[in-house]
Formats: sequence, C-alpha cells, structure tokens
Amino acid sequence: MAVVTTSPERSDAAVPDSGTWRAALTHAAPFFGMLVLALLLPLVGNDYWALIGTRMAIYWVLVSGLNLVVGFAGHLAIGYVALLTLGAYTTSVLVAGNVMPAVPVFPALAVAAVVGAIFGVIVGLPALRLRTFYFAMSTLGFATIVTQIALAWQSVTGGGIGIAGPEFPAPFNTAWGFYFLCVGIATFTTWLSANVARSRYGRALIAVRDAEVAAEATGISKPKMLIAIFLLAGACAAVAGGLFASLQTYITPDAFTFDLSVLFFIAILIGGRGSIMGPLLGTIILTILPEIAAPLAAWSTFLYAVLLLVIVLVMPGGIAALLDFRNRKPLASNRAIVPRPAALADIVRRRTGDNALALRGIALSFGNVKAIDGLDLDVAPGKIHGLIGPNGSGKTTTLNVISGYYAAKGGTMTLGDDALPPGMPALRAARGIARTFQTPRVIGEASVLQNVMIGGTVEGRATFVESLLALPRNTQDERMLAGKARALLGVVGLDGLADVRADRLQHSELRFIEIARALMLDPDFLLLDEPAAGLSGDEIDRLGELIKAVSARGTGVLLVEHHADLIFDICHQITVLNLGRILAAGTPAEIRVHKEVVSAYLGG
Amino acid sequence: MLASIIAAGLASGAIYALVGVTYNTMFSTSRVMSFTAGQLAMLGGLFGSMFTLKLGLPLILGFLLTLVCCAIIGIITEFIAVRPVLKNLDQHLYVLSTLAVALMIQQVAAIKWGTEPQPFPRLLGLGSGVWDEKFWLPVLACVVTILGLEYLYRRTLVGRAFLAIAEDNFAARALGLPERNLRIASYALAGIIGGVAGYAGGELLLAFFANGALLNFYGFVPVALGGLGNNRGAIVGGFALGLFQQAANFLVGGIFSSVAVFTLFIVVLLAAPQGLFGGATARRV
Amino acid sequence: MLTSADESLLTVRALGSGYGKIRVLHGVDMSIAAGEVVALLGPNGAGKTTMLRALSGLLPVNAGTVRFDGRDFGRITPREAARAGLVHVIEGHRVFTQLSVTDNLLLAGYDIPRSERAVRVEEALSFFPEIAEKRHERGGALSGGQQQMLTVAQGLVRRPRLLMLDEPSAGLSPVLVDRVLNVIGQLKKQGTAVLLVEQLLEKALAAADRVYALVQGNIALEAPTSESDLAKRLERAYFGHESHALEAS
Repeated sequence: MAVVTTSPERSDAAVPDSGTWRAALTHAAPFFGMLVLALLLPLVGNDYWALIGTRMAIYWVLVSGLNLVVGFAGHLAIGYVALLTLGAYTTSVLVAGNVMPAVPVFPALAVAAVVGAIFGVIVGLPALRLRTFYFAMSTLGFATIVTQIALAWQSVTGGGIGIAGPEFPAPFNTAWGFYFLCVGIATFTTWLSANVARSRYGRALIAVRDAEVAAEATGISKPKMLIAIFLLAGACAAVAGGLFASLQTYITPDAFTFDLSVLFFIAILIGGRGSIMGPLLGTIILTILPEIAAPLAAWSTFLYAVLLLVIVLVMPGGIAALLDFRNRKPLASNRAIVPRPAALADIVRRRTGDNALALRGIALSFGNVKAIDGLDLDVAPGKIHGLIGPNGSGKTTTLNVISGYYAAKGGTMTLGDDALPPGMPALRAARGIARTFQTPRVIGEASVLQNVMIGGTVEGRATFVESLLALPRNTQDERMLAGKARALLGVVGLDGLADVRADRLQHSELRFIEIARALMLDPDFLLLDEPAAGLSGDEIDRLGELIKAVSARGTGVLLVEHHADLIFDICHQITVLNLGRILAAGTPAEIRVHKEVVSAYLGG
Repeated sequence: MLASIIAAGLASGAIYALVGVTYNTMFSTSRVMSFTAGQLAMLGGLFGSMFTLKLGLPLILGFLLTLVCCAIIGIITEFIAVRPVLKNLDQHLYVLSTLAVALMIQQVAAIKWGTEPQPFPRLLGLGSGVWDEKFWLPVLACVVTILGLEYLYRRTLVGRAFLAIAEDNFAARALGLPERNLRIASYALAGIIGGVAGYAGGELLLAFFANGALLNFYGFVPVALGGLGNNRGAIVGGFALGLFQQAANFLVGGIFSSVAVFTLFIVVLLAAPQGLFGGATARRV
Repeated sequence: MLTSADESLLTVRALGSGYGKIRVLHGVDMSIAAGEVVALLGPNGAGKTTMLRALSGLLPVNAGTVRFDGRDFGRITPREAARAGLVHVIEGHRVFTQLSVTDNLLLAGYDIPRSERAVRVEEALSFFPEIAEKRHERGGALSGGQQQMLTVAQGLVRRPRLLMLDEPSAGLSPVLVDRVLNVIGQLKKQGTAVLLVEQLLEKALAAADRVYALVQGNIALEAPTSESDLAKRLERAYFGHESHALEAS
C-alpha cells in the first residue's frame, strides 16, 4: 500500500488556494450569520427572550453532539435526556457540596463533561450489537433508569424534592451574561462538530451508516469511530445538563421529561441527517414553537411528532435538503462517461512487486449447499484474471471470501508469503486489497467527491482529536484526499459531477464511482464484482480500457463477470466455475473453445 | 406474600406478553417494529374506561367498541406510518414514522383524558385477594388470545396467508396473495390484541396515558427475549418478565426493580441479539 | 413463424424493465399464441428472470407495452395477472415451509371460491402423484425436487392460460427434470400456453415450439425449434457476435 508520491503537489496546483478559502467561507457564512443574530438579540429582546435564547443555546450544545450520533452515525438514540439529567445532577451535586467539599462551577462542569463522556459510551455501546429499533429501545430504558436513580438516591440528589442548580460567578449570573456564556459554549460545540463532520471521520461515520459493507472494505473500523463520537456527544450533553440546571435554578427529576428527549431527537431529523445547519435550525424552530402561542405549548410534543411524520413521509432529507440549492440544478440528461486511463499514471505508482494473491483448496458451505468446493486461484500482479460461471457457481462468494466477509471452512489464502486471515474484512484495505460490489454500494446523500474520498479514509494521518480541533494535519489530509479523489474522478471520467449528490446519478456512473473509490487506496489487488452489469456497449468498452490501464500499472485484477465479450477481450487468464468447483482454467483462447465450458453455459 | 407476587407477576406478565404478541403481529406481515404496540394497549384501557364507565355502556358492548376503536387505530398506523415507508430501502424511516404516530397517540390521550390515571371499572365483580379478577382476567385474556391465534393460523385460510407472508413475502406476492389487504388486516388484528391487553389489564394498570410508553418498553422485552416474530417466545418471556419484576419489587423496592429489569434486558440483548429462541441472522453481503 | 397480433395471447413490444436505476431489459419484443410452448433462453444476467417478473407485475414496466388476452398489462399486479390467467412460477422452489402441501396449494387458490378451491387443488395434485401422497406433510419436509413440483402445482391451481416457469429444472436430478418437463407436454395438450425459462438447452428445445434467446437485455434470436442448426446459432448468440479468440469451427 503506497504513499502517493507525485499527486499532492500536482493537485494542489490544480486547485488554487483561493478556491479552498472561498469554499470554506461559503460554508461558514451561514453560521457566522446565526452567530451575529445571536449576539444582536440583547438589543431587541427583553429578559424573556434572554431565557428563550439561553434555552435554545443549551439545547443546541446537546444537540450538536447528539447530531453526530443520530445524524451522522445513524444510531437512533432517543433517550439522550439521560445524559442531560446526568450532567445536570453531577454539576449541581458537586457545586452544592453534598458528598464532597463544594467545587467551583467551571471545574464541576468539566467533571460533568468527563462523566458524561463515559456514560455516553455506555449508553452508545449497544449500538455496535443491536439493530435500529432495539438500540432505540435500550436508550429509552437508560433514560428511565437515570430518572429513577435520581428519584431514589435521595441523600445525593435530594430525591423528589430536588436540588439547587449551580450558580455562575459574575458576569455570568445575569440573564444576558449567562446567555452569552451559553452562546459561547454553543459556538464552540458547533465548531467542534463541524470539524468532525468535514473531516474523514465525518465521512467515515456516514459511510458506516449508509454503506457499512463498503465501509468495511475501505478499512473503516466501526467501533473506533463510534466510541470517539459517543465520548464527544456524552460530554456535550453533560455540559448542556450543567447549564440547564443553572437555567432552571432548581432541578427535580420531573424536569427531565421524555418530551425533552423527543425534542432533541426530532430536531436532528427535521434538520436532516449529515448536516450541521439543518439540526441547528431544527433546534431553534422546535424551541420557539411552544412560545409562539400559549395553546401550542400544551400540544408541543404532538406538533413535534406531526413535523417528524411529515418530514419522514415527504422530505426525508429534512431542512438540509431544502437548503441544498446546489443540488437543485438540473443535470445534463445525456451525460457520457469518458474515462482517461492515461491519467492514471500520474496518480498511482507503477508496481514491480512479485507478490501474488493465491487461494488453495478454499471450501465454504451454506448449510448443506457447498458454495465453494475446493478452489485454487492465482491473481498475479499486473494481470487481469477473469472469473466466470453460471449463476450459483460461487463467483461472488469467492470474492467475498477474499474480501473477508465470509470465512472459508477449509483451504488457505496467501498474499505473497503472508497468510490472509479469514474473516475480518476491515483489515483487507491495509493489505492492499480493494473491491467493488455487485450492486453499487454508494452513499446517496453524499456528493460524488465525498464518496470517492471515503475510499482513502485509512490513508489519513490526523487523529480524531486533531480533526476535532481543525489542526493543520487535518487540513493536509483533506487536501490530499480531495486532490487524489478529483484526479481519480478525472481518470474514470466523472470529474464534472464531483459535487453532485450521488443518488442523482445513473447506475453506470455509480459503478465508475465505485472503481474510483477503490483506486483511492492505490491497491495491489483490485476485485471487481460484475462491473459491467447495466452498462451500455460503449461504456463496457471504456470500462475495459480502464481496467487494462489499472493492471498495466502493476495491480492484479480479479474480474467476476457475465459479459463474455469483456472477459475474452481483456483477461490474461480465465477461471470457469461451476457449482463451486473449477470447470476449466486457462487463457481466453483455450476457454472459448473448451467444450465443457460451452455446454455448461448452454446447459446439458 | 409469595402468592401475591405470583398473582401480580402472572397478571402483569400476561399484559406484557400480549403487547409482545402485538409487536409480533405487526412485524410478521410488514417487517416493521412499530412503536405503537404499547400505545394500543394503553388505548384499550382508556377506551374501555370511557365506554364502560363514563358512557355507561353494557360490558360486552363497551369491550367490543374498544376493540373496534383499537383496530381502527391499527389500520390508521398502517396507512400513514407503514405503507408509505415500505417502498423506501432506508431502514430507519419506519422507526421514526411509527414513533411519530405513537407520540401523537400519547399526546392526544394525555390531552383528552388528562395526565392523571383514570379509574377503570370493576368488570365482573369476581374474586378477592390474590384471586381477584384484576389478577386472573389478564391471564385469561392472554390464554384466550393465544388459543384464538392458534386457531387463526392453523385453521383459517387468512391465518395461513399471514404465515405465508411472514415467511416469504416475495413468494407470497408472486403467488397472487393480496399482500396489502393482509397487511392491513394484520395491523387491525394487532390493534385488537393490544386492545384486549389494555382492557383486561385495566383494573391492574388503570386507564393512564403514561401506560403507553411503559408498555412499549415492557412489552418489547418479551419480544427481545423470545426472538422477533416468535409468539411462543413472547409469551414465555412476558410471564418471566412479570414474575421477575414482581420479585425484584419485593426484594429491592419499586425503583430498583426497574433498574433490575433494564439491566437484565440489556444483558440478554447483548449476549443474544436474536433473542433466546430467535433464529439466525440474514446474510449481509 | 408469425402470429398476428389478434391471435396472440401475449404481445410484448419494446419492453423495458429493471431494478430501480438498473435497466436490464432494453426493448424486448415477444409474442405467444394460445396453447404454444415458448422457451426463453440466454446466458446468466441476460434478463430472463427480469422479463418474467415484468410480465407478471413483480417488476415495473418502464417502457413499451404488454398486452395479455387483449388487456393492457402495463401496470398490473401479480394478483390481477394471476386472476386474468397469467401465472408466474418463480425460480428457486420457494414453498412455504411451515405450511402443509395442501395449505400451500390452498393459498395458491386464495381468490377462488371455497367450493371450487378443493377441486382445483385435487386437479393440480393429479399432475404430481408424488406429492399428492405427501399432502399433509410440511413444505419444509419435501426434497428440493418435490418442492419444485409443488410450486408448479401451485401455478396450476389457477388453471392458467399462460404458465410462466422460471428455471424449473434448477438443482434437480435429470429424472425429476424430465418429470417436470413432461407436465409441460400434458399442459400443451389441454391448451395451456407455457413460457419456459431454462438453462438446459436441449431439454428446453425438446419441450418447446419456439425459442427466443435473450442476451444482455435484447432478443438476439427468435426461431421455431424445428430448425436444424439452432444449437450453433444459439452458441454464437450467447458468446457474442465477435469472438476475440480462435473460432470453434
């Protein structure tokens, strides 16, 4: 697996710095606008509005963190009021000095953040094992538990009677003073979550959410991603809890209703997944709604639910989709995909290695059915090996075994001299194996460029904390990944569509996106699963040229296909499978006239 | 003491089991886990109280009207929260749409019937102490419902059509079974089962809007324990849960019993995500 | 061998269909007359299964027209298609394993009045005595071959005018394959048209009157089965018109 040697400088020159600055500014402008409005509020509002504004800011502190869990990672954590409760009580108890000497409020808030981070992981961990609905239920259970404990643990929390919320020192102890503090903290958490969103971690979260199988193939480790954001979301929620307790001045378990949880959760979904601005607007709308008219207050949760239903049925993309003006522009209807295989030389290095991918005696059964029954296969670097056979012969299963989605029951796989461990698909990317899928697994809500950039996630150097704080190494990563992705899009012929949402594209374009994504890793071996399915004749020809160019750079290609023309045209070696066993293996010329192959295809 | 634990445990367990069956009934024809199961049971109590107590209707009539109303709510759920999202491949949408409907039901109930528990009438006036009808009515209702479902699934063509759709939706469609009508029917049936649970459990749980959320969770535990779509598992899980909860109540007190239940739930789910009796996971790739 | 549009039971013109964005069929023409047995052949991925699904309404018709018995079938549902006489037996011998053989057949006759239903079930079982004697066993207890016979029997419950069979021989022993294909002969005798998708070339040619070859979503060949060099022509159609390797002959 290579470090790209030539690309970064070249692509940096191609994308001038001013372009990057302008893009960043366009993104940041709406947020600055919101901040300005927030700072101007004291001029037009009274103490009542200070209260509303403070509440909005506090809610957003929680929601900005929860957004990463619900909107980006896609885990429906409905019971997050549990962490608000936790943070509120931790801060209040520490400041009140019930159990230990009183702690000043800011350190207490910091402690609450740590406690919240830990519990954020505890509440979130089931997401790794449980399905959607089950996980949602488990978070609801947590919320109930926390409230019950707050009720029961009277010596510490004051039980049903409650406890006084923390007071902040001057200048934060006035309505507007506290407002500015909360706005300040909210700005900080917005910045943090936006940094995550626009880093490779944010993209990786969305990849795991919408295309988990493909994410594994690119080497993304789901558990590590999730733990990082559970920590962050928990901390934000707990800090929000401390601020909330101060706002309420006195808290009882009753204050932490399920309605609050619902508000947080629905704000994100109304705002739209994968967005920061959307949930921010959603939080503002939902907080203001009950205040507009008195009757609305009683019906507020009902209205939230109606809004949620409307969004789900009519506009699942939420407010973010409404605001996505760039994707309103119509696309040309007769777009052609024109790859430029020659440009590949600038991006991927030429390999001279000798390491072949070898399978020996692979066997795998599903129940009583022998899907693969003793398979030997070699993929040499720089060669294209075709794998064909009737339906059910085991072609895709073979790819899945090589990728690690299935663990073979017998036989060995080696890459050069090293064994490839069975199972563990997320480790394949590090070994230089990339692949495409039988049905394109592409993230519809992300742009074409982001989809391709995801392919190179594991090549990034910045740690999560560096991305969180937008430190220079993260910027370098982004520049490198974006540059390489744009270059690869040029290679596969889709560069004009880089910023278009992937779900607007045609099927054939999605196939080429998958190839560009796979090439981001500069792989030693490329596994292609029926890449020609659904492509027109012209597109198949161009696909063939592209694959030939990839193998000419030294990558070994294993091509599973039904299209006989493509296979005979470009493959150096062909293996024919039937019922999980090798029927024939040899050069295209040998296979084409092999009697048994012909009759296997024609039946008999 | 033991007797009252058993009585209360079996009674509440029966209610939980029936809510679990409600979940399963909706799931089997639509592959959707709906948040409305507990709300349907809650409505069974509220409607029952309204028809029988407030409006003073005769018992049988009040009971039947309650079931009809719950069936209608079930059908409405299918129309607005299930059918529209089935076409979409996005898994999470049905969780949101049914959650939205469940919240709407809950809020309307809170506003119309108030946030305090409403009294539920004494239905038959039979028994006292541990043999009071509030303990054996839910159990009786559970048994009758199970027998009724067995009859439906084994002896009627509609029931067998439900089983066919639950097993292989595509083959059922290709065979020409009226998939949509059957799904609507199963949501109506789920409404009825929920209504039975709420009505039979009314004397125990009272008519209280907050029962919805409570039963959503406690009725889900049997499903998690027994495996999705597995009614027998739900029954066993429900009774086990009820008894466990009452025992925990007695031993450590009300508040910590819910902690105990929840901990058990999480532990079982993490150890066996398919449930203790559930089947194997589907192929991912 | 042309049949005029009036006489055709099934007329398909420029049919386009696929799965979501993936277009599989690119303008397919086909016609089947009443009582005719037509084989639809082609390599994997050609779109044969897609074609049957588009005809019976399991997949949408995105382009072109489908007319069955004079009626427009462009937006039909599988239920309506079956009621109109177009019955689709899907691939994979998918029976309802938890239900008995009889129940499986009763469900096939869901729309038929109850009195008539039992008669039809017996009628369908008469084609397959092997499963008639297992009528009370669960579908899951049958062997693969018996399950395949059951799915064909399910199709027959409706007394179809056109029966579409998707790879009925898949995974079956040669004896059972012949058994299933014999039924087609019986059906032809009683005037039922059959559209047979098959992998086994020779068996299909033996059972059919006419054959279509579908390659990459287009009809590459249409001919009566009586023609002599059919096997060669099919081979050429399958492996492409241009061969980049040595010619076989």
